[in-house]
Amino acid sequence: MTTSYFLSIAALAAAAPASAQQPAVTVVAVPPLTTPDSGSKGGQSLGIGWQATQMIVTDLRSTSELMPLPPDRKDFYSYPEVTAPTFSKWRAAGAKTLVTGFVQSRADGRLTFGCYVYDVDKGRELARKGFVVGGGDWRRAAHRCSGLAYTAVTGAPGVFDTRIAYVAESGVGDAKVKRIAIMDSDGFDHRYLTPGGNIVLTPRLSPKAAQVAFVTYASGQPQVRIIDVDSGAQRPLLASDAMTFAPRFSPDGSRIAFSMMLGPNSDIYIVGANGGYPQRLTTAPGIDTDPSFSPDGSKIVFESDRSGTSQLYVMNADGTNQRRLTFGSGWYGSPDWSPDGQWIAFTRRDAGARRIGVIAADGTGEKVLTTGPGDEGPNWAASSRDVVFQRTDAARRNLIYRVSIDGTEPRRLEIPQDGADPDWSGVMD
Amino acid sequence: MRKALLLLTMLAFTTAAEAQLPGLRRRAPPPAQPVLTGIDAARADFVMKSGADTVYFGQNSALLALPAKATLAAQAQWLLQHPEIVVRIEGHGDAGDTRDHALAMGARRAEEVRSYLVLLGVPAMQLAVTSWGKERPGAGRAVTILVR
Repeated sequence: MTTSYFLSIAALAAAAPASAQQPAVTVVAVPPLTTPDSGSKGGQSLGIGWQATQMIVTDLRSTSELMPLPPDRKDFYSYPEVTAPTFSKWRAAGAKTLVTGFVQSRADGRLTFGCYVYDVDKGRELARKGFVVGGGDWRRAAHRCSGLAYTAVTGAPGVFDTRIAYVAESGVGDAKVKRIAIMDSDGFDHRYLTPGGNIVLTPRLSPKAAQVAFVTYASGQPQVRIIDVDSGAQRPLLASDAMTFAPRFSPDGSRIAFSMMLGPNSDIYIVGANGGYPQRLTTAPGIDTDPSFSPDGSKIVFESDRSGTSQLYVMNADGTNQRRLTFGSGWYGSPDWSPDGQWIAFTRRDAGARRIGVIAADGTGEKVLTTGPGDEGPNWAASSRDVVFQRTDAARRNLIYRVSIDGTEPRRLEIPQDGADPDWSGVMD
Repeated sequence: MRKALLLLTMLAFTTAAEAQLPGLRRRAPPPAQPVLTGIDAARADFVMKSGADTVYFGQNSALLALPAKATLAAQAQWLLQHPEIVVRIEGHGDAGDTRDHALAMGARRAEEVRSYLVLLGVPAMQLAVTSWGKERPGAGRAVTILVR
């Protein structure tokens, strides 16, 4: 997949003059990380450094803004050169940005990673950061180094040290087994959080990805539960037998907004993440659902059919000042507010197709990102530049795709099985 | 269905075991045709007498059309005659809906059916509702399922 993406970037670059929408791609050099260690320790650290280098390159290649040069072991440099790189060499290679760094083994068995990002043209340092990680945890250090480089170039948070939760699906039709799964965004550390005996839906990660709110049919009807990612401990969101669904954590993790049925009426409620008495936020007859918080937690965007068709609305997080955001034809649903506050991603159903789109938080600048016809459930990456979503194909298989808001082709996410309802966490530290 | 099979299997085992034991009085042979008993018999009778266990809705609508109301009237009559029976009304959303919209729509359809049955005099205690959203095949409908 990375290869084909690399090719598509190259093709885009070739077609650049014809396209006004062409995003600027920054070429990044990532020569192999070095080490101050000597002897056999030095060899070991260099080995880890080389693996980390390749991971950083893979991370940066997965973005639409950065294009890393293929790493080459011949570009080895000494430890003092980490902070004094030969800029002329990288300028000649066409790189605008340079990432250097080192791996140092510590007496306690852990590793120190140093990571430095430079503007090659100006010969100036853009950012530096050190990380201490467990010996087997070099991947996280590499991801954080990738994040440092991405942020230095784009100003947006990197999405490399993040998690993705989704519903893993196996089997077909009535026999379909659904399990809540979670993995690091690079595909590593894939785990199932539920065993598959009950239908489960819509996992929603807490801000630091330590908990997942989801819907389960364990009681026979859809109800929201919270599961702790590390311990696997579960509890119901409410001590009630009402149908509850569409849970979403507030950005500080303290509250959960969700839908609850009261008679034929689906309304939005809010409750403390650790329990309490739910407060009702909407009262319109009909379907109000899919709440999503603004990044400062003060507002909630949601879907309502109070006007006759489903449209997006925004309200204060206490339910006051409800106003309509979208006025297009067809139906709007499953909104998700971007982490930088600028955009709201949504599903729009129109002319027989479901597509993913975005609209500015003030209701202007609506644009469609995908062609459908079976797309739904967009969820933002921490960078606010990509969304993941579910695509149902002609054979009714659910797959997870990722698309960038600059309008590049959606790419399929590599996961072990079919998947639905993806949810992408914020940066974990 | 599964329960009925289990019963039949148990019955087969018991008779076989008894036949092998000498000195025990032989029972009458089991009936040749499996006879539906308990909830399965009630389900079959319910569907036969009320015409259908399922009512259908228009796309993105929870309004009960005339044919649906006729079916529900027959269901209500049967339920009034069987006050010991408890049913679960399962609503389904539309496949074209988004996940949560389908859940809400399924719940709304199930609730419309429940309200109509209550309107026709069926005690609310006999009626539970749930929604399958778009998780099960057979969009745009609500099914009345006998639970016990």
